[in-house]
Parts: sequence; C-alpha cells; structure tokens
Amino acid sequence: MVEIELRNLTKLFGDVVAADHVNLTIEDGEFFTLLGPSGCGKTTTMRMIAGLEFPTEGRVLFDGQDVTGLPSFERNTGMVFQNYALWPHLKVFENVAYGLNVRKIPKDQVKERVLDVLDQVELEGMEDRFPTQLSGGQQQRVALARVLVINPAVLLLDEPLSNLDAKLRVQMREEIKALQRRLKITTVYVTHDQEEAMSVSDRIAIQNHGKVRQIGSPTEIYNVPQDIFIATFMGRGTLLEGEVTSTEGGVHMSIGNITLQGLDSTGSISQGDKAACVIRPENYCIDEPIEPSNVLEGEVEWTSFIGPYTEVRLDVDRHKVLVDVPPGVEAPVGGRLKVYIPYKNTIMLPLEE
Amino acid sequence: MTENWIKSTSIKDKVRKLRRELDPLTITQTLISYFVLIGFLVLPLSSLVIQGFKFEGGLSLNWFIDILTSPEYVSLQSRGGRMFEVRRGVMYLWGYDHGILLNSLMVALTVTVFCSMIGIGVAMIMGRYEFKGKAVFKVILLIPLLATPFVNAYVVGKVFNPQFGLLNFLLVDLLHILPWRVSVDGLVGLIVVQTLTYYPIVYTNVLSSLNNIDPSLEEMAENLGSTGFRLFRTVTFPLFLPGLVAGAIITFIFSLEDLGAPIGFIGATANPLSKNVASYQIYASFREALTGDISPKVSALALLIMVVTVLSYTLVKYYTSRRSYTMISKGGRWSPRLRKPRAGIQLLIVGGLLFLFILGAMPQLGTFVLASTNWANSGTFPTKITGEYFMALTTNRDVVRAILNSLMYSVVAVAIMMVVGSSISYVVAKRDIPTKSLLDLLATVPVSVPGVSLAVSYFLFFSTPLFRGSLLDPLTDPALLLILAYTIRRLPFMTRSVYAGLQQIDKSLEEASLNLGATRTTTLGKIVIPLIVTNVISGALLSFVYSMAEVSTSITLGALREDRVPITFFISQIVYGTAAVGAVSIGASLCILLMTVQITAMAVSNYVLKQKASFLGV
Repeated sequence: MVEIELRNLTKLFGDVVAADHVNLTIEDGEFFTLLGPSGCGKTTTMRMIAGLEFPTEGRVLFDGQDVTGLPSFERNTGMVFQNYALWPHLKVFENVAYGLNVRKIPKDQVKERVLDVLDQVELEGMEDRFPTQLSGGQQQRVALARVLVINPAVLLLDEPLSNLDAKLRVQMREEIKALQRRLKITTVYVTHDQEEAMSVSDRIAIQNHGKVRQIGSPTEIYNVPQDIFIATFMGRGTLLEGEVTSTEGGVHMSIGNITLQGLDSTGSISQGDKAACVIRPENYCIDEPIEPSNVLEGEVEWTSFIGPYTEVRLDVDRHKVLVDVPPGVEAPVGGRLKVYIPYKNTIMLPLEE
Repeated sequence: MTENWIKSTSIKDKVRKLRRELDPLTITQTLISYFVLIGFLVLPLSSLVIQGFKFEGGLSLNWFIDILTSPEYVSLQSRGGRMFEVRRGVMYLWGYDHGILLNSLMVALTVTVFCSMIGIGVAMIMGRYEFKGKAVFKVILLIPLLATPFVNAYVVGKVFNPQFGLLNFLLVDLLHILPWRVSVDGLVGLIVVQTLTYYPIVYTNVLSSLNNIDPSLEEMAENLGSTGFRLFRTVTFPLFLPGLVAGAIITFIFSLEDLGAPIGFIGATANPLSKNVASYQIYASFREALTGDISPKVSALALLIMVVTVLSYTLVKYYTSRRSYTMISKGGRWSPRLRKPRAGIQLLIVGGLLFLFILGAMPQLGTFVLASTNWANSGTFPTKITGEYFMALTTNRDVVRAILNSLMYSVVAVAIMMVVGSSISYVVAKRDIPTKSLLDLLATVPVSVPGVSLAVSYFLFFSTPLFRGSLLDPLTDPALLLILAYTIRRLPFMTRSVYAGLQQIDKSLEEASLNLGATRTTTLGKIVIPLIVTNVISGALLSFVYSMAEVSTSITLGALREDRVPITFFISQIVYGTAAVGAVSIGASLCILLMTVQITAMAVSNYVLKQKASFLGV
C-alpha cells in the first residue's frame, strides 16, 4: 500500500497543456477521484502516475520515493483501461495470469491465484473463454482481475464504467467500491461523471484545463464549491450574476430588483465586486423555514415531472430560476409561486474575468 | 507566464523523452533496419550516383550530356521502324525508333495511358454494375498478374507473327476480315504485352478507391441534379483519382524497368527494335561485364531512369498522402451503388470483358499450351500433347538446380525481410524516434528503384577492392547479393503488410502489458507478435512469390556464375534462344511452376489467413 504525491506535475503535448502544475497527495488506502470534463487532463495525470506518460515538469512520488522516471513495468501499479485492453488472442485465464507469469511465479501458484481472483470478481468457470465471448460487464471484471492478481500498490481506473449500460454501471461501481474497501488499496479513479465520482470517492480533485481547481470530499465539493466552474459542473443549479452591496453578516447582492443574502465560501468577496450566486434546485422550501432565508416569487414558465419531484422554471423579474417542487404542491404553468432559500444554501462566488 | 516557463525546459524534456524511447529493443530494431537499408540500398545507389558523374578522374556531367545529345539515346527524328506501313501484303505495326531513352519513356507513358483507360473502364463496370458472371470475372481479370516472365512476350510475339501466327490465321486466312497480314512487333509489341500485363494494377487500385467512396456522396450529387458523365466528371472521378494515380505510377515504373517483354520479343521475332529500350541496354552491358567492368555511360543511364522513377514515385506518394478521401464520412447506409442494366447491355458488358480476358490471359493460356504441347515448333496450332516438359522440371539437372537456387534465395530473403520488415514497421507504427520518417521512406522507396539500376549499383559497389574475394563480391559468388537484392526489392510488401496489422492494435493493449510488469521485449513477444502473426505470414508469402519471380537482378547478377542461376535467368536464356530449339517449352513449364506457387500463396493468404491479398500500389 502506498501514498502518492504529485508535485508541480506538468505535461505538454506540443503547445497543449494537458496537466498544469498539479499538486496533490493521495493517502494510503484512499479512493481518490480525478473528475473533470473531457480534455481536462485527468487521464494524462493518471497515465503519469502509471508511468505510461512522462511529465514535462514536476515529480511523482510513491511513499516519498521519486518514481518520476521509472517505466511503467517497474512501478507495480495496476491500471484498468477505458476499453479494458484485454488481449484478444489470450483466454481469460491467460489474460489474468499474464502479470504473474511475467513475474516468474511458479505455475501452481499462478493457477491458484488466478482462480482465486476470478472467484472474487465472480467469473468462476469463465477461464477458458476468449474475451470476445464475454459480455461488457464480464470483460470489465476480467480487466479488474488482471490487475488485482498482481497485488498492485496502486489501483488505477480510467473511466472503467463508461462502456457499460446505465444499470450495470451503478452495480459495478458499488462492487468496485466494496472491493476497494476490502483490499484497502490506494485507488485513483478517473471519470467525467460527477454522480459516479461522488458515490464512490473518499476525496475528489476537480480538474479543468489541466489545473486542479478544488480538492475535497464529495460533500465539500458539492456544498462549498470554490469557483463558478465547479459550482456549475457539479449538479444542477441556477446562476445569478450581480453586484455585492454589503459584506456585513454574509454577502448581500443585488441582481436587478432582486436582493439576495448568502455565504462567501471563498472568503474573497468585498463590497462593490461583481459576484455570482449559485442556488441548487433541491434547496428551495415551499413553506417559510425557521432559518433566515431569501424569498423569490415569480411566474411558473415551464414544468417537467421527474418522479420524486417536479422541475419548475420560474421567471423572477426576467431571471430564470430552477426549482424542485415536492409532490403534492400545485404549480400550474402561468400561475405564481413563492419559494424560500436559507442563507446557508445560497452560495456566493467571485465572478471570474 | 507559467507557460513560458514551461517551454523553456522543453529541450531538456526532449532529451529525456528520447532516452526513454530508446530502450534496448528499439535500439536493436532501429540499428538492424538502418544497417540493412544503408548497407544494401543507400551505399550501393550512392556508388551508382558517383560512377555516373565520374569522368577523367573528376566529376562532370559528361556522361549525361553524352546520353542526352547522342541520337542513339535521344533522337527527335525517327531512326527507323515502321508504323501503319503496308509492304508485300503485311501491315507493319512496329513503332518508330527515337533513341533508347525516348523509346523507353514513350513506351512507358503509352502503356500507362492505355492501362489507365482500360483500368478505369473495367473498374467502373465491376464497381458499379451487377451482371451475370461477375464473380467469375472478378477472379479471371486478375490472371494477367500471374508471373510468366519472358514467356508472356514470347507467346504474344508468336500469336501476332505475320506468317503463321494465330491472329493472322483467324483474321486473314479464316475470316478474311483484314486485307493484309499484321505484324505487331518492336516497340508496339512491347506496349501491347505490357498493357495486357499491367492493366490489372490500375484496375485493382481504382476499384478499391471506388469501393471506398461513400455512396451518399454520389447520391447527394444526383439529388442536386447531376447525373451521367457530369456526375462522373465532378464527383466520382476526383474521388478515385488518388487510386488511379497510385496504380498508374506503379505501371509506369514497371514498364520502364521491364526486361521480360524485350527479351521475350527478341526470342519470338528477333526484331532488334525491341532491344532499343534503356532496361535492355543496361542488361546487355551486364552480359559484357562478366569479366570486366560496367562502363560509366551505362551507370549514367541506369541512374537516369532511376531518377525518373524514384522522383515520380515520391511526388505521387506525397500527392496521395495529402489526398486521401476515403472514409471521410461515417455512419449511414454503406452499400455500394450497384445497378443492374438491361439484358442487352449486360450482354455487351460480358462480351467486352470476355474479349479483354482472352487478350489479357493470352500469355498465361499460351504458356500452358507451350508447356503441355509441341506448339513451340508446330506452326499455328499445336499437334501433339506431351508431358515431357513438365517432367523436365524434375529430371533436367540444370532446371532442378535453378529451382533449388531460387527456392534458397527466396526463403533466406524472406527470413531477413521478416526480421527487418517487422522491425521497421514496429518502429514506424509504435515508437517515436527521430528519423522515423526517413526509415519509412527508405523501406518503401525500393518499389520505385528499377531492378537493373539496383543490379548495376550492386555490381559497382561490391566489386570494389574492399569486398574482393568475399561472399559479397559478385564476381566470386552472386548468391548472397541476389538474396539481399530480393530482400531490398520486396521489403515494401512485407512492411506494408505488417504495418497494416500493427495499425489495428490499440495502444492500450501494449500499455496494459507494460503496466503489468512486462518489458517492451516481452510485450513484443507475447502480445504484439501473436496479434500480427497472420499479417507477417501473409506478407512473407507475397514477398516469397515475388522473389521467386524476380527478373531484373536475377538475370543480371545471376548471370555471373553458372551454378548460381535462379529460375528467371534460366527462362530468359531459354527464351532468348541460347538453349536448344524447343526448350522454350521447358521455360513455359517453369512459368507454370511459378504460377502454381503464386496461386497457392494467394489462396492461403486469402482463405486461410483471411488477409486481403495486398495488391500493387503506392
């Protein structure tokens, strides 16, 4: 088991900056996720941990030891590729046994360990099949077994679920999480799916344009986003831009005729600044709550029944506001609706230039 | 600001990157490749260049000026020959002699134009129409590609013979269609033979381009109101043009370096006009060089035609690499636009193709008749079927030796090609080292180097005192040089086949292996090679076939020692008339052997290995 440290990790492809001074520490046994939109550099960052890509600048340390220049085969990482990269000319058994054979483990031990790991990923009896004879979910398990069998110091998962259908994806992510808990193996997970990231990770690093924008637990990142990119990338919400009128007892902001009060999660907003207010649709209350709250009232423009709630778009002084309305509340299109948002759920962020 | 700071370190980064790329496996592969390509392609050709410029102890353009100004090589006025000339009841179609160099270029250009016209026509019919017997034509239209060196021209010469040839018998004696007998010979004879042999090269290239055109592109044009010839001119033709150019340039090169037709024609009709092309002149001087040296003038001529072929090939390759239209659009319906014409038109198509087939396959059919009957000396028709010429393949000591020699050369050459070709393809496809594109170029350019030029360069380079008496000295033993010449000349077939296989392997399959602790060498052995093994074997089969049938270096370098002669040299001797009368039938049976090997290899490649038989192209 191992602690991974990335120091100033930078990778250039020609003039394109894939990773830009990435600094982070992944703790021993942690399930750590690199999250970001496609092309943000998360896969490049992972490949530098695996030794499949080498940084232009910066260093990779495993347990304090510099492994920046080590080739992949000397790092003892186990990577599961997005397309699984199962070798089509080898049977399941041979695919899984590959890493052990390379390490010159005696034959009887190889067999024992391969069968054991296939058992763990619920693929017993499949060892004589070729990869093409397996379903997508089974192929994914073989890819996982193939790296787990060598007891890697680090488990690297590059969008491992992106090729599975929605239902299987949820099932597999629970299995992966359970397996990681059991083995207590340091795991780096790359995904662009924020829901997937939040459901499996101990901590998440959000990357955009090569830079790490925020590192934190799923709740921290969701509830206290550090900038507008993160706030809009994570979950749904309404973004209102306005001017800060006061910073006494929270940030006061005016957006046209609307005034809102909320929390400054970055601590960098001052009076007179342009700022943005982010409100998640599930945080509205229909009845006035006990906590101090902002009030918004507008005309219902559009509704969409989702099931657990109804999505409603309100027109508040010509600003569009997205609100989740619980079942049982009438909100006909054209009617008026009054909603409350507690100050603590009103996130104020500085506007970027 | 940070980005500037990053860029300033990029040179250091490049050095580190290079050091990582150059692992022991890559270094070994690169060194082996460069050793073979420099030692047996670049250096010999350089000595050819130097020899061409050498004059009275210095360097000068003397020999080139000499060639370009002497009417023997370049003459704008006709120096002889007959065209559409009727004398004593015979219409002579020989062509006019404009000097060796101009003759060569004229023949090659005419052949290229004819092949392109036939190739486009046949490809349009095969690619756009549905008709009875199409599946059969698909196979039999490729028959001209079967190797019948020298004998093909001999057969054409015999069929077109003004006295007792089959053609004149049919058209004049039997059907009385023509008022005079026809003599097709000389340069026109070369053009006819080469056109019939090479048109499938253009045809296959155009057809494959045509099949790669997204049907919706033509449908869109039709939808906008463009039909018929306008559609062809504005959409279809530009889209298959890269394929046409690729096939045409190969045809041009093959025609320019061809020795089979001139030698075969001389064997059949002894008309000296057939000799007045560059390839034959270089070959002839080789026969005189047996004991002595090759004159600088011949070197200059070999260099001249090589410059023409290599330059035009490189230009075309550059052009086609920038004009690859295939598979631009994806998705949607992808069934080719096939129309089923009316019965009358179908009949016309089948009739036309049948005519082309009979003409095109005439050399192969004739070879078979020659080998199995007494046709060689029986006049218009054979009178007796005999198996004695096939028997000679196993009983005649000289024949058996030639077969064994060719087998040995080809097998060893293919073995070397497998190592070198796979190494080059692997480095080019999967590694990122400097000079990678040079390696790629050196491995493909031999397609365009005329065999006679390579032979001259080998003779010049390896008969220098440095190699005297060694196994590389052509005057001591040409065997090793023949093997290496085959290796270099057929290397492009190998690299192309392996490269195609490597492109199918996703990068992650190798990375997964590295990640699990395997070194690059282990990864190559356990992952990469098993995945491309069918491509390697298929490339090897193709290279083997073309090595067995190799002409230019075989009949030049191969002539240097009697006990080392390969099959094609033996056939050339027979057809040229050095051997006993009637022996041309033994040559024909050797051609049947070559064709059998070729058909077997193609069948194995197509049906067992499931590889598309790579055809000739850029």
